[in-house]
Amino acid sequence: MCRAGGVPDPAGNGAGMDAAFTALLEDSAEDLYESAPCGYLSTMMDGTIAKINATLLDWLGLEREAVVGHRRFADLLTVGGRLYHETHFAPLLRMQGELRGVALEMRRQGGGRLPVLVSAVVKHGTGGEPLLIRTTVFDASDRRSYEEELLRRRKEAERVRAEAEQARVEAEQARVEAERARAEAERARAEAERAHAEADEARRQAEADRTRLAAALAVLQQSLVPDSLPAVPGLETAVHYHTAAPDQLGGDFYDLFPVAGGRWAFFLGDVCGKGPEAASLTSLTRYTLRAAAHHDPEPASALATLNAVLHDRYTAGGDPRYCTCVIGVVEPGGEHGSVTVRIASGGHPPALVLRSDGSAEYLPTPGGLLVGILPGAPIGTAETVLAPGDTLVLYTDGLTEARTGPGRDDLYGEDALRAFGAGHAPAGPREVITALTGLLESFGEGLDDDTALLALGVPAAPSPTRPTTSPTS
Amino acid sequence: MKPLTIDHRSTATGPVLRVAGDLDFDQAPELRRRIGLLPLAPGQCLVLDLSGLEFCDSSGITALLAARQHALAAEADAVLAAVPANLLRVLTLVGLDQVFTLRPYSDPAS
Repeated sequence: MCRAGGVPDPAGNGAGMDAAFTALLEDSAEDLYESAPCGYLSTMMDGTIAKINATLLDWLGLEREAVVGHRRFADLLTVGGRLYHETHFAPLLRMQGELRGVALEMRRQGGGRLPVLVSAVVKHGTGGEPLLIRTTVFDASDRRSYEEELLRRRKEAERVRAEAEQARVEAEQARVEAERARAEAERARAEAERAHAEADEARRQAEADRTRLAAALAVLQQSLVPDSLPAVPGLETAVHYHTAAPDQLGGDFYDLFPVAGGRWAFFLGDVCGKGPEAASLTSLTRYTLRAAAHHDPEPASALATLNAVLHDRYTAGGDPRYCTCVIGVVEPGGEHGSVTVRIASGGHPPALVLRSDGSAEYLPTPGGLLVGILPGAPIGTAETVLAPGDTLVLYTDGLTEARTGPGRDDLYGEDALRAFGAGHAPAGPREVITALTGLLESFGEGLDDDTALLALGVPAAPSPTRPTTSPTS
Repeated sequence: MKPLTIDHRSTATGPVLRVAGDLDFDQAPELRRRIGLLPLAPGQCLVLDLSGLEFCDSSGITALLAARQHALAAEADAVLAAVPANLLRVLTLVGLDQVFTLRPYSDPAS
């Protein structure tokens, strides 16, 4: 497009372009200096301004007359710019001869500031001596803004980074917190498990204690009532003990043992009260009777001894305690294996006899008194012969006082018991005890007291070694 | 369980205690305590009016025996009055009808 020599375009359409190019060429150096898009100034070596263009005067709002020859370059700068000029700019310029792109701030007339980039070069004379300084000033407002924007963004990024860091720190703290909470929960869980284990151990311990106590009670109970009876030649025996409360020592007692002269003694009774006090009374009663029966096999004598012992021990001291008791002695040697039984009773329900002919009758012992409440208490006695097939049944009042109805006076009673006996006669001791055990079970809740049952009889069979065989003719 | 009530009345011949309710293992000790506090003079008669008694077990009988014991210790007498039929049956069974003085009514004059 631009041709050398400025020869007109033969095509004829380049006339306008040529005019503009010509105008540009005609633009004077003076006008270019004054109106250039940057500031120019020239100063003496001492800084006094010798020449300054209109652009820079306009930027700073100054009049040429007030500047040229009157002001130095440093006078146009802000305080900070002046300081930097004195300490760095001027010395470096003198030393290097030129400086490029130095950022300074100039003062605008009226108080504003103008950020600028300054380049300067020292002009030397032909002899090499410095003559003046030529300085170019670029308006750096936009660039400063850009830098400020950069700075702002950098700060923003810094802030975001700091926030991210803060968030990271907080997240870390939260993680640590969560970890601690988890550890705490773990500890609590372990604690709970330990407590649970301890509770288990305590329960096992309590269970063991209860088992041990139950075992001890069972042993004591054994000392009160034997769990099995000795075998008696020519007699069949059977026994049953119903315990109303498994954890309470019973107040009923019985025993069967040999005494002098080939005889056998037995007793059965019921002490007043319940629990350990009743048990201690039972123990005293049982061993007193056993000892007394050895000294004097007459049942009434043994019972009188027991009465005296209990009265002295308790009632005489203002603490009445007593028992009901029936004690008997079996005298063997009768015809066909029959035995004579003598019994003595102190306030005890009458014994029941099931005969081989199918009848059942009580063996009354009238006049007998509770054992232990009066010195020299009256004792009721009776005697009977048990022939083969006859069975004597002793019981405590748990049986006859068992409730059979809703009222407290709806009791099983002696009449019903005799009828029950007649319904089963003839029957051997084991058979009778089995039937009575079933009867006790049928009372259910109505049976609320300990109940002892003792039966002894002469087997109907001729051979005492086979007591359960059927009678033969 | 019927609560035990014990009403005390003084008469010319001695104290009368009206015992009503259940005389059982739990409540019999209260009768024994009350009787233990009774002042009795020689020759007096302690009357236990049992007309309101609804139940009496072996603990109750023990309390009645303790009352008799207490009276005898003071050289006084003890009487059971208006004994209910069921208790009378038990007392007879264990021979205590021979030991206690029994009266049909609680009035000391009768």
